[in-house]
Amino acid sequence: MLPSSAEAPGVARAADPGPEPVRQVTLESRTSRLDFACGAGETLLQAGLRQGVALPYECATGTCGSCRARVMDGEVEVAWEDAPGAARLRRERGDILLCQARARSDLRLRVPAAVGAGPSRCRLPQHRTGVIGERRLLTHDVMHFELVLSAPMSFEAGQFAVIRVPGLEGGRAYSMVNYREEARRLEFVVKRKPGGGFCDWLFGPGCGQQTLEVFGPLGSATFHPGERRNLLMVAGGSGIAGMMSILARASDGNHFRDHKARLFFGVRRLADGFYLDRLEDCVARAGGNLEVTLALSDETPAAATHPAHPRIRLAAGLVHDAMAEAMQGRYDNPLAYVAGPPQMVDGALRVMITQGQIAASDIRHDKFS
Amino acid sequence: MSWKYLCDVGDVAANTARVIDVEGIPVLVVNYGRGFRAMPPLCPHMEEPLADSSIVANCVLTCTKHLWAWNLETLDMQGEAEKPLKTYDVKEEDGRLLALIEQELTYDFEEEDELDDAAFFS
Repeated sequence: MLPSSAEAPGVARAADPGPEPVRQVTLESRTSRLDFACGAGETLLQAGLRQGVALPYECATGTCGSCRARVMDGEVEVAWEDAPGAARLRRERGDILLCQARARSDLRLRVPAAVGAGPSRCRLPQHRTGVIGERRLLTHDVMHFELVLSAPMSFEAGQFAVIRVPGLEGGRAYSMVNYREEARRLEFVVKRKPGGGFCDWLFGPGCGQQTLEVFGPLGSATFHPGERRNLLMVAGGSGIAGMMSILARASDGNHFRDHKARLFFGVRRLADGFYLDRLEDCVARAGGNLEVTLALSDETPAAATHPAHPRIRLAAGLVHDAMAEAMQGRYDNPLAYVAGPPQMVDGALRVMITQGQIAASDIRHDKFS
Repeated sequence: MSWKYLCDVGDVAANTARVIDVEGIPVLVVNYGRGFRAMPPLCPHMEEPLADSSIVANCVLTCTKHLWAWNLETLDMQGEAEKPLKTYDVKEEDGRLLALIEQELTYDFEEEDELDDAAFFS
Protein backbone atom coordinates (compact mmCIF):
# COMPACT_ATOMS: atom_id res chain seq x y z
CA MET A 1 0.00 0.00 0.00
CA LEU A 2 1.09 3.52 -0.65
CA PRO A 3 1.16 6.03 2.19
CA SER A 4 -1.73 8.41 2.51
CA SER A 5 0.45 11.28 1.34
CA ALA A 6 0.89 9.76 -2.12
CA GLU A 7 -1.27 11.46 -4.70
CA ALA A 8 -2.17 8.22 -6.36
CA PRO A 9 -5.27 6.60 -4.94
CA GLY A 10 -5.84 4.83 -8.25
CA VAL A 11 -2.35 3.44 -8.36
CA ALA A 12 -2.66 1.12 -5.37
CA ARG A 13 -6.06 -0.09 -6.58
CA ALA A 14 -4.71 -0.96 -9.99
CA ALA A 15 -1.79 -3.01 -8.68
CA ASP A 16 -2.20 -6.75 -8.67
CA PRO A 17 -1.51 -8.48 -5.34
CA GLY A 18 1.54 -10.36 -6.62
CA PRO A 19 2.56 -13.85 -5.64
CA GLU A 20 2.18 -15.01 -1.99
CA PRO A 21 3.52 -14.75 0.64
CA VAL A 22 3.65 -11.00 0.84
CA ARG A 23 6.40 -9.15 2.71
CA GLN A 24 6.17 -5.52 3.78
CA VAL A 25 8.89 -3.20 2.53
CA THR A 26 9.57 0.22 4.00
CA LEU A 27 11.64 2.34 1.65
CA GLU A 28 13.49 5.46 2.73
CA SER A 29 14.72 7.78 0.01
CA ARG A 30 16.15 11.27 -0.08
CA THR A 31 12.69 12.70 -0.51
CA SER A 32 10.20 10.19 0.83
CA ARG A 33 9.30 7.26 3.04
CA LEU A 34 7.08 4.73 1.30
CA ASP A 35 5.64 1.32 2.10
CA PHE A 36 4.89 -1.38 -0.44
CA ALA A 37 4.24 -5.11 -0.50
CA CYS A 38 6.56 -7.62 -2.16
CA GLY A 39 5.53 -11.11 -3.24
CA ALA A 40 7.84 -14.11 -2.88
CA GLY A 41 8.37 -14.64 -6.58
CA GLU A 42 9.13 -11.08 -7.60
CA THR A 43 12.11 -8.77 -7.25
CA LEU A 44 11.98 -5.71 -5.04
CA LEU A 45 12.21 -3.56 -8.16
CA GLN A 46 9.19 -5.25 -9.74
CA ALA A 47 7.19 -4.98 -6.52
CA GLY A 48 7.84 -1.27 -6.14
CA LEU A 49 7.35 -0.31 -9.78
CA ARG A 50 4.07 -2.17 -10.23
CA GLN A 51 2.68 -0.33 -7.17
CA GLY A 52 3.67 3.09 -8.45
CA VAL A 53 6.88 3.59 -6.45
CA ALA A 54 9.22 5.37 -8.88
CA LEU A 55 12.39 3.44 -7.97
CA PRO A 56 15.56 4.33 -9.92
CA TYR A 57 16.38 1.80 -12.65
CA GLU A 58 17.43 1.57 -16.27
CA CYS A 59 18.02 -2.00 -17.44
CA ALA A 60 16.04 -3.93 -14.78
CA THR A 61 18.23 -6.96 -15.53
CA GLY A 62 21.39 -6.55 -13.44
CA THR A 63 23.77 -4.85 -15.84
CA CYS A 64 23.55 -1.09 -15.23
CA GLY A 65 23.71 -0.76 -11.41
CA SER A 66 21.18 2.09 -11.27
CA CYS A 67 18.84 0.39 -8.76
CA ARG A 68 21.32 0.26 -5.88
CA ALA A 69 19.79 0.12 -2.41
CA ARG A 70 20.92 -0.69 1.13
CA VAL A 71 19.22 -3.25 3.37
CA MET A 72 18.85 -1.60 6.79
CA ASP A 73 16.70 -4.34 8.40
CA GLY A 74 15.61 -7.75 7.17
CA GLU A 75 16.80 -10.45 4.80
CA VAL A 76 16.92 -10.68 1.03
CA GLU A 77 17.85 -13.38 -1.44
CA VAL A 78 20.05 -12.32 -4.37
CA ALA A 79 19.37 -14.07 -7.67
CA TRP A 80 22.52 -13.16 -9.61
CA GLU A 81 25.49 -12.50 -7.33
CA ASP A 82 27.86 -11.77 -10.22
CA ALA A 83 25.61 -9.31 -12.02
CA PRO A 84 27.83 -6.72 -13.80
CA GLY A 85 25.86 -3.92 -12.17
CA ALA A 86 26.76 -5.28 -8.72
CA ALA A 87 30.51 -4.83 -9.22
CA ARG A 88 30.68 -1.59 -7.25
CA LEU A 89 28.28 -2.51 -4.45
CA ARG A 90 29.40 -2.27 -0.83
CA ARG A 91 28.11 -5.70 0.01
CA GLU A 92 29.53 -5.59 3.53
CA ARG A 93 27.22 -2.65 4.17
CA GLY A 94 24.20 -4.53 2.87
CA ASP A 95 24.04 -3.00 -0.60
CA ILE A 96 21.97 -4.80 -3.20
CA LEU A 97 20.51 -4.30 -6.66
CA LEU A 98 16.74 -4.05 -6.35
CA CYS A 99 16.34 -5.87 -9.68
CA GLN A 100 18.23 -8.93 -8.36
CA ALA A 101 16.86 -9.18 -4.82
CA ARG A 102 13.78 -10.88 -3.40
CA ALA A 103 12.40 -10.31 0.09
CA ARG A 104 12.88 -13.11 2.62
CA SER A 105 11.40 -11.11 5.49
CA ASP A 106 9.84 -7.72 6.03
CA LEU A 107 12.43 -5.13 5.02
CA ARG A 108 13.61 -1.62 5.62
CA LEU A 109 15.59 -0.28 2.64
CA ARG A 110 17.36 2.94 1.77
CA VAL A 111 17.75 4.23 -1.76
CA PRO A 112 20.27 7.03 -2.43
CA ALA A 113 17.99 8.88 -4.80
CA ALA A 114 14.84 10.95 -4.87
CA VAL A 115 11.92 8.52 -5.08
CA GLY A 116 8.43 9.70 -5.77
CA ALA A 117 5.15 7.86 -5.71
CA GLY A 118 2.31 8.77 -7.92
CA PRO A 119 0.97 8.56 -11.39
CA SER A 120 3.66 8.60 -14.03
CA ARG A 121 2.78 9.34 -17.62
CA CYS A 122 3.64 5.74 -18.45
CA ARG A 123 1.46 2.79 -17.55
CA LEU A 124 2.48 0.84 -14.44
CA PRO A 125 4.24 -2.44 -15.19
CA GLN A 126 2.62 -5.70 -14.16
CA HIS A 127 3.34 -9.41 -14.07
CA ARG A 128 1.89 -11.34 -16.98
CA THR A 129 2.64 -14.62 -18.68
CA GLY A 130 2.98 -15.37 -22.36
CA VAL A 131 3.83 -18.02 -24.90
CA ILE A 132 5.95 -17.66 -28.02
CA GLY A 133 3.85 -17.10 -31.12
CA GLU A 134 5.33 -16.58 -34.56
CA ARG A 135 9.11 -16.85 -34.93
CA ARG A 136 10.77 -15.63 -38.11
CA LEU A 137 14.45 -15.52 -39.04
CA LEU A 138 15.17 -12.04 -40.47
CA THR A 139 18.86 -12.54 -41.25
CA HIS A 140 21.26 -15.39 -40.54
CA ASP A 141 21.50 -14.34 -36.86
CA VAL A 142 18.50 -12.09 -36.17
CA MET A 143 15.12 -13.47 -35.09
CA HIS A 144 11.75 -11.74 -34.93
CA PHE A 145 9.39 -13.29 -32.40
CA GLU A 146 5.96 -12.70 -30.96
CA LEU A 147 4.84 -13.16 -27.42
CA VAL A 148 1.16 -13.90 -26.96
CA LEU A 149 0.19 -12.46 -23.58
CA SER A 150 -2.15 -13.80 -20.91
CA ALA A 151 -3.61 -10.31 -20.53
CA PRO A 152 -3.26 -7.34 -22.88
CA MET A 153 -0.59 -4.72 -22.19
CA SER A 154 -0.66 -1.03 -23.01
CA PHE A 155 2.73 0.62 -23.33
CA GLU A 156 4.44 3.68 -24.74
CA ALA A 157 6.41 3.44 -27.96
CA GLY A 158 10.07 2.85 -27.07
CA GLN A 159 9.44 0.82 -23.91
CA PHE A 160 10.68 -2.68 -23.09
CA ALA A 161 9.66 -5.78 -21.16
CA VAL A 162 11.66 -8.29 -19.13
CA ILE A 163 11.10 -11.88 -20.25
CA ARG A 164 12.04 -14.84 -18.10
CA VAL A 165 12.07 -18.47 -19.12
CA PRO A 166 11.38 -20.82 -16.19
CA GLY A 167 14.52 -22.87 -15.68
CA LEU A 168 16.84 -20.26 -17.23
CA GLU A 169 18.45 -17.91 -14.72
CA GLY A 170 17.75 -14.22 -15.06
CA GLY A 171 15.40 -12.09 -17.08
CA ARG A 172 16.19 -10.58 -20.49
CA ALA A 173 15.09 -7.11 -21.49
CA TYR A 174 13.71 -6.58 -25.00
CA SER A 175 12.13 -3.50 -26.49
CA MET A 176 8.76 -3.90 -28.13
CA VAL A 177 8.91 -3.58 -31.94
CA ASN A 178 5.20 -3.02 -32.49
CA TYR A 179 2.89 -0.41 -31.06
CA ARG A 180 -0.74 -0.65 -30.18
CA GLU A 181 -3.03 0.05 -27.25
CA GLU A 182 -4.08 -3.01 -25.27
CA ALA A 183 -1.68 -5.22 -27.19
CA ARG A 184 -2.32 -8.94 -26.88
CA ARG A 185 0.74 -9.74 -28.99
CA LEU A 186 4.13 -8.14 -28.37
CA GLU A 187 6.78 -8.24 -31.09
CA PHE A 188 10.49 -8.42 -30.31
CA VAL A 189 13.75 -8.88 -32.16
CA VAL A 190 16.83 -10.66 -30.90
CA LYS A 191 20.31 -11.09 -32.29
CA ARG A 192 21.84 -14.47 -31.67
CA LYS A 193 24.97 -14.39 -29.55
CA PRO A 194 27.20 -17.40 -28.99
CA GLY A 195 26.49 -18.97 -25.62
CA GLY A 196 23.43 -16.82 -24.97
CA GLY A 197 21.09 -19.01 -22.91
CA PHE A 198 17.88 -17.26 -23.97
CA CYS A 199 19.00 -17.06 -27.61
CA ASP A 200 19.86 -20.75 -27.75
CA TRP A 201 16.48 -21.53 -26.26
CA LEU A 202 14.64 -19.18 -28.62
CA PHE A 203 16.46 -20.34 -31.73
CA GLY A 204 15.96 -23.97 -30.66
CA PRO A 205 13.01 -26.27 -31.30
CA GLY A 206 11.34 -26.57 -27.90
CA CYS A 207 10.23 -23.06 -27.09
CA GLY A 208 6.66 -23.31 -28.34
CA GLN A 209 5.20 -25.09 -25.34
CA GLN A 210 6.67 -23.19 -22.44
CA THR A 211 4.94 -20.41 -20.53
CA LEU A 212 7.16 -17.37 -19.98
CA GLU A 213 7.03 -14.73 -17.29
CA VAL A 214 6.72 -11.20 -18.68
CA PHE A 215 7.12 -8.00 -16.66
CA GLY A 216 6.47 -4.65 -18.24
CA PRO A 217 6.18 -2.12 -19.65
CA LEU A 218 9.46 -0.54 -18.52
CA GLY A 219 11.79 2.20 -19.71
CA SER A 220 11.73 5.93 -20.24
CA ALA A 221 13.04 6.33 -23.81
CA THR A 222 9.51 6.89 -25.00
CA PHE A 223 7.78 8.83 -27.74
CA HIS A 224 4.52 10.77 -27.33
CA PRO A 225 3.03 12.39 -30.45
CA GLY A 226 1.70 15.18 -28.23
CA GLU A 227 5.25 16.49 -27.80
CA ARG A 228 5.17 17.72 -31.41
CA ARG A 229 8.91 17.57 -32.11
CA ASN A 230 11.20 16.58 -34.94
CA LEU A 231 12.95 13.26 -34.27
CA LEU A 232 16.51 12.03 -34.71
CA MET A 233 17.00 8.30 -34.18
CA VAL A 234 20.21 6.29 -34.20
CA ALA A 235 20.15 2.52 -33.77
CA GLY A 236 22.68 -0.27 -34.06
CA GLY A 237 21.56 -3.83 -34.79
CA SER A 238 18.66 -4.98 -32.63
CA GLY A 239 18.61 -1.50 -31.06
CA ILE A 240 16.23 -0.73 -33.94
CA ALA A 241 13.40 -2.44 -31.99
CA GLY A 242 12.22 0.56 -29.98
CA MET A 243 12.64 2.84 -33.01
CA MET A 244 10.27 0.61 -34.99
CA SER A 245 7.66 1.05 -32.27
CA ILE A 246 8.21 4.82 -32.27
CA LEU A 247 7.87 4.98 -36.06
CA ALA A 248 4.70 2.91 -35.95
CA ARG A 249 3.21 5.18 -33.29
CA ALA A 250 4.30 8.32 -35.12
CA SER A 251 2.94 7.10 -38.48
CA ASP A 252 -0.41 6.11 -36.99
CA GLY A 253 -0.65 9.46 -35.21
CA ASN A 254 0.06 11.46 -38.40
CA HIS A 255 3.12 12.88 -36.69
CA PHE A 256 4.97 13.21 -39.99
CA ARG A 257 2.37 15.51 -41.45
CA ASP A 258 3.98 18.38 -39.53
CA HIS A 259 7.28 17.01 -38.21
CA LYS A 260 10.43 15.52 -39.65
CA ALA A 261 12.31 12.43 -38.56
CA ARG A 262 15.66 11.00 -39.55
CA LEU A 263 16.54 7.42 -38.68
CA PHE A 264 20.06 6.01 -39.00
CA PHE A 265 20.25 2.23 -38.72
CA GLY A 266 23.68 0.63 -38.44
CA VAL A 267 24.47 -2.93 -39.54
CA ARG A 268 27.60 -4.60 -40.90
CA ARG A 269 26.61 -5.49 -44.43
CA LEU A 270 23.69 -5.00 -46.77
CA ALA A 271 22.51 -8.53 -46.06
CA ASP A 272 22.33 -7.75 -42.33
CA GLY A 273 19.57 -5.16 -42.75
CA PHE A 274 16.08 -6.16 -41.55
CA TYR A 275 12.60 -4.66 -41.13
CA LEU A 276 13.30 -2.85 -44.40
CA ASP A 277 9.79 -3.49 -45.72
CA ARG A 278 8.28 -1.87 -42.67
CA LEU A 279 10.73 1.02 -42.77
CA GLU A 280 10.06 1.62 -46.44
CA ASP A 281 6.33 1.62 -45.75
CA CYS A 282 6.83 4.27 -43.05
CA VAL A 283 8.88 6.40 -45.45
CA ALA A 284 6.16 6.14 -48.10
CA ARG A 285 3.44 7.15 -45.63
CA ALA A 286 5.46 10.08 -44.27
CA GLY A 287 5.37 11.98 -47.56
CA GLY A 288 8.96 13.21 -47.57
CA ASN A 289 9.23 13.99 -43.87
CA LEU A 290 10.95 10.73 -42.90
CA GLU A 291 14.44 9.75 -44.04
CA VAL A 292 15.81 6.29 -43.31
CA THR A 293 19.48 5.55 -43.85
CA LEU A 294 21.05 2.11 -43.54
CA ALA A 295 24.73 2.53 -42.60
CA LEU A 296 27.05 -0.35 -43.51
CA SER A 297 30.18 -0.59 -41.37
CA ASP A 298 31.88 -3.51 -43.15
CA GLU A 299 30.87 -3.00 -46.77
CA THR A 300 30.87 -0.15 -49.27
CA PRO A 301 27.42 0.35 -50.73
CA ALA A 302 27.26 0.12 -54.51
CA ALA A 303 24.57 2.79 -54.81
CA ALA A 304 23.00 5.62 -52.86
CA THR A 305 19.83 3.65 -52.19
CA HIS A 306 19.06 0.06 -51.29
CA PRO A 307 18.77 -2.15 -54.41
CA ALA A 308 15.57 -3.84 -53.21
CA HIS A 309 14.17 -0.96 -51.14
CA PRO A 310 14.70 2.25 -53.13
CA ARG A 311 13.20 4.50 -50.45
CA ILE A 312 15.97 3.52 -48.04
CA ARG A 313 19.26 5.38 -48.35
CA LEU A 314 22.62 3.69 -47.95
CA ALA A 315 25.76 5.08 -46.31
CA ALA A 316 29.22 3.70 -45.61
CA GLY A 317 30.82 3.57 -42.19
CA LEU A 318 29.82 3.53 -38.56
CA VAL A 319 26.26 4.66 -38.02
CA HIS A 320 27.12 7.67 -35.84
CA ASP A 321 29.66 8.85 -38.40
CA ALA A 322 27.04 8.51 -41.13
CA MET A 323 24.65 10.48 -38.94
CA ALA A 324 27.23 13.20 -38.30
CA GLU A 325 27.87 13.64 -42.01
CA ALA A 326 24.24 13.62 -43.07
CA MET A 327 22.95 15.85 -40.29
CA GLN A 328 25.50 18.65 -40.54
CA GLY A 329 23.64 21.96 -40.48
CA ARG A 330 20.12 20.49 -40.38
CA TYR A 331 19.47 19.15 -36.91
CA ASP A 332 16.27 21.23 -36.45
CA ASN A 333 16.25 21.00 -32.65
CA PRO A 334 15.07 17.39 -32.45
CA LEU A 335 14.18 14.94 -29.74
CA ALA A 336 16.88 12.28 -30.06
CA TYR A 337 16.74 8.54 -29.47
CA VAL A 338 19.76 6.23 -29.24
CA ALA A 339 19.93 2.45 -28.82
CA GLY A 340 22.56 -0.14 -29.66
CA PRO A 341 25.98 -1.43 -28.63
CA PRO A 342 27.76 0.70 -25.98
CA GLN A 343 30.45 2.08 -28.31
CA MET A 344 27.88 3.12 -30.88
CA VAL A 345 25.76 4.76 -28.21
CA ASP A 346 28.74 6.68 -26.87
CA GLY A 347 29.72 7.83 -30.36
CA ALA A 348 26.18 8.91 -31.20
CA LEU A 349 25.80 10.85 -27.93
CA ARG A 350 29.05 12.71 -28.63
CA VAL A 351 27.94 13.73 -32.11
CA MET A 352 24.48 14.77 -30.92
CA ILE A 353 25.77 16.91 -28.05
CA THR A 354 28.82 18.50 -29.69
CA GLN A 355 27.75 18.86 -33.34
CA GLY A 356 23.99 18.79 -32.97
CA GLN A 357 23.99 21.02 -29.87
CA ILE A 358 21.28 18.77 -28.46
CA ALA A 359 20.78 19.14 -24.70
CA ALA A 360 21.00 16.03 -22.52
CA SER A 361 17.36 16.54 -21.56
CA ASP A 362 16.36 16.09 -25.22
CA ILE A 363 18.14 12.74 -25.59
CA ARG A 364 16.27 9.56 -24.66
CA HIS A 365 18.19 6.42 -24.02
CA ASP A 366 17.82 3.48 -21.63
CA LYS A 367 21.24 2.24 -20.60
CA PHE A 368 21.60 -1.52 -20.72
CA SER A 369 25.32 -1.70 -19.91
CA MET B 1 45.21 28.71 1.60
CA SER B 2 47.22 26.97 -1.00
CA TRP B 3 47.08 27.68 -4.74
CA LYS B 4 48.50 24.75 -6.68
CA TYR B 5 49.75 24.77 -10.25
CA LEU B 6 47.56 22.62 -12.53
CA CYS B 7 48.89 23.19 -16.03
CA ASP B 8 49.38 25.93 -18.59
CA VAL B 9 46.23 27.46 -20.07
CA GLY B 10 47.13 26.04 -23.49
CA ASP B 11 47.49 22.49 -22.20
CA VAL B 12 43.74 21.77 -22.17
CA ALA B 13 41.99 22.60 -25.44
CA ALA B 14 38.56 24.19 -25.52
CA ASN B 15 35.73 21.72 -24.87
CA THR B 16 38.04 19.05 -23.51
CA ALA B 17 38.94 17.72 -20.10
CA ARG B 18 41.98 15.94 -18.70
CA VAL B 19 43.08 14.58 -15.36
CA ILE B 20 46.12 16.17 -13.76
CA ASP B 21 47.89 14.80 -10.71
CA VAL B 22 48.45 17.54 -8.15
CA GLU B 23 50.72 16.16 -5.43
CA GLY B 24 48.85 12.88 -5.45
CA ILE B 25 45.38 14.37 -5.82
CA PRO B 26 43.69 13.64 -9.18
CA VAL B 27 42.03 16.78 -10.54
CA LEU B 28 39.90 16.97 -13.67
CA VAL B 29 40.65 20.21 -15.50
CA VAL B 30 37.90 21.24 -17.89
CA ASN B 31 38.16 23.97 -20.50
CA TYR B 32 34.61 24.97 -21.40
CA GLY B 33 35.57 27.69 -23.83
CA ARG B 34 34.72 30.66 -21.64
CA GLY B 35 36.79 29.47 -18.72
CA PHE B 36 38.17 26.58 -16.72
CA ARG B 37 36.86 24.37 -13.94
CA ALA B 38 38.78 21.99 -11.69
CA MET B 39 36.96 19.14 -9.95
CA PRO B 40 37.21 15.56 -8.71
CA PRO B 41 37.59 13.20 -11.69
CA LEU B 42 34.47 11.11 -10.98
CA CYS B 43 30.82 11.63 -11.84
CA PRO B 44 28.91 12.25 -8.59
CA HIS B 45 26.23 9.81 -9.74
CA MET B 46 27.96 6.43 -10.07
CA GLU B 47 31.70 7.17 -9.95
CA GLU B 48 32.17 7.10 -13.72
CA PRO B 49 35.63 8.48 -14.68
CA LEU B 50 34.70 11.78 -16.30
CA ALA B 51 37.89 11.99 -18.37
CA ASP B 52 36.39 9.23 -20.54
CA SER B 53 32.67 9.60 -20.01
CA SER B 54 32.19 13.36 -20.23
CA ILE B 55 31.33 15.58 -23.15
CA VAL B 56 31.94 19.33 -22.93
CA ALA B 57 29.93 21.51 -25.29
CA ASN B 58 28.07 24.82 -25.03
CA CYS B 59 29.45 25.37 -21.51
CA VAL B 60 27.76 22.14 -20.38
CA LEU B 61 29.47 19.02 -19.07
CA THR B 62 27.44 15.87 -19.77
CA CYS B 63 28.32 12.43 -18.43
CA THR B 64 27.36 10.00 -21.18
CA LYS B 65 26.76 7.18 -18.70
CA HIS B 66 23.31 8.37 -17.63
CA LEU B 67 23.13 11.87 -19.15
CA TRP B 68 23.66 13.78 -15.92
CA ALA B 69 24.72 17.31 -16.95
CA TRP B 70 25.87 20.56 -15.38
CA ASN B 71 26.28 24.10 -16.70
CA LEU B 72 29.96 24.90 -16.13
CA GLU B 73 29.47 28.67 -15.92
CA THR B 74 26.76 28.56 -13.25
CA LEU B 75 27.24 24.99 -11.95
CA ASP B 76 23.46 24.54 -12.27
CA MET B 77 22.28 20.96 -12.63
CA GLN B 78 20.76 20.00 -15.99
CA GLY B 79 19.27 16.93 -17.62
CA GLU B 80 18.94 14.01 -15.24
CA ALA B 81 21.43 15.32 -12.67
CA GLU B 82 20.37 15.00 -9.03
CA LYS B 83 23.62 16.00 -7.29
CA PRO B 84 25.80 19.11 -7.73
CA LEU B 85 29.37 19.07 -8.96
CA LYS B 86 32.05 19.89 -6.41
CA THR B 87 34.78 22.18 -7.73
CA TYR B 88 38.06 23.75 -6.66
CA ASP B 89 38.42 27.51 -7.13
CA VAL B 90 40.51 28.25 -10.23
CA LYS B 91 42.52 31.28 -11.36
CA GLU B 92 44.82 32.14 -14.26
CA GLU B 93 48.15 33.86 -13.72
CA ASP B 94 50.48 34.60 -16.63
CA GLY B 95 49.09 31.75 -18.69
CA ARG B 96 49.32 29.36 -15.78
CA LEU B 97 46.24 27.70 -14.31
CA LEU B 98 46.06 27.43 -10.52
CA ALA B 99 43.55 25.73 -8.22
CA LEU B 100 42.86 26.34 -4.56
CA ILE B 101 43.31 22.87 -3.08
CA GLU B 102 43.14 22.61 0.69
CA GLN B 103 42.29 18.94 0.66
CA GLU B 104 40.99 16.43 -1.86
CA LEU B 105 37.30 16.87 -2.66
CA THR B 106 35.40 13.61 -2.86
CA TYR B 107 31.80 12.59 -3.31
CA ASP B 108 30.44 10.59 -0.47
CA PHE B 109 28.79 7.72 -2.28
CA GLU B 110 27.59 6.35 1.05
CA GLU B 111 26.49 9.61 2.53
CA GLU B 112 23.29 8.16 3.96
CA ASP B 113 25.39 6.26 6.51
CA GLU B 114 26.86 9.30 8.09
CA LEU B 115 23.64 11.23 8.29
CA ASP B 116 20.96 10.96 10.89
CA ASP B 117 17.41 10.49 9.71
CA ALA B 118 16.61 14.19 9.71
CA ALA B 119 19.51 14.95 7.40
CA PHE B 120 18.84 11.95 5.17
CA PHE B 121 15.33 13.15 4.42
CA SER B 122 16.20 16.82 4.02
